[in-house]
Amino acid sequence: MLRRDFLLASGTVALSAAAPTPTPSGTVLYGDRTIALDKVRVEGDELWVRSPDLPRINEFEVKPQGACRADVCIPLSKSLKQGDWFHLTGFARQIHQSYVADAGVWSFGEIPVVRGEFLNSRMAPDFAVPDRQGKVVHLSDFRGKKALIVTWASW
Amino acid sequence: MIAAAQDTGGEAAAGKWYDAAKATYTTLVDVQHTISSAYQFVNVPMGVWIDERGRVVRPAEPAWTMNSTLKVGDKSITTEGKAYVAALRDWVANGEKSQFAMSDDEFAKAVKPRSAAEMEAEASFKLAVFFHEKGKDELAAKYWHHAEELNPDDWNYHRQEWSFTPDEAGKKWLDKFQKLDHPYYPKLELPKPPEAK
Repeated sequence: MLRRDFLLASGTVALSAAAPTPTPSGTVLYGDRTIALDKVRVEGDELWVRSPDLPRINEFEVKPQGACRADVCIPLSKSLKQGDWFHLTGFARQIHQSYVADAGVWSFGEIPVVRGEFLNSRMAPDFAVPDRQGKVVHLSDFRGKKALIVTWASW
Repeated sequence: MIAAAQDTGGEAAAGKWYDAAKATYTTLVDVQHTISSAYQFVNVPMGVWIDERGRVVRPAEPAWTMNSTLKVGDKSITTEGKAYVAALRDWVANGEKSQFAMSDDEFAKAVKPRSAAEMEAEASFKLAVFFHEKGKDELAAKYWHHAEELNPDDWNYHRQEWSFTPDEAGKKWLDKFQKLDHPYYPKLELPKPPEAK
């Protein structure tokens, strides 16, 4: 089932041709991040965020040449920007990033161009995951040492 | 060494096992399975080696420490821990000169781009974790199942979801395992182990 079909079938996100509706808040999930946004605009299953919020969502920044993250800049069509607003789900489609949404939460998958950088450079993706005491541990904390990461589970 | 519990149940689920292991290494509690997502781990235990510069030396592969064969009906699960540990020790001693440090060509062959379905499954799984943590169990179940349908080969998705109905988990695992037409774990592809030289 395609993402859009799934959203339609779920009945939890009503599609509308109306103008973007101001919504008090929304939540975005991306990578290890949970980002609570106090201002979003919703248009059916489409999500608009304020451009200044973009870096803390996915590390992209809106610049004159496009949406940029590190060495990558992706030109933006005019339809993805309205004043201070940025069409986050439209951008996701442009860069072939999957997402699912329900009940005011938008969860985004990996960004293929970011994955492509990993495949080319072999640089290990950083992460921010808490240890048992709740202290956030980053892979970058181990730079200069060899690291073995092993997963396991109680289940 | 960084151990990462892929446990949506958090410290309550993982902590006692770390205590029992008397862990002296970094012990993470990865509620969202962030590390499995980042490194394309689809079961446990799986591991990745990263050098001093932050480059991946060997990508996702089973990370057992002992050899074993478990018969389950007419199928079996084989682990190759001795070779894995020997290879790891060799890399620690010899760094990039180790025969187990992958070349760029070997790395490119070993790591595949994710499919659209796999990427959507990842997004769906994280949405399920979010709703589970908020106590919205029906929404969580919906997105656990969506992730499992999109990426049925990811055992982490199945086994995490089944853990919330422990009375049924064993039967669900067995039913799926018996229908497998490929090995339960990805094959460990190592050059000839040091002890066999």
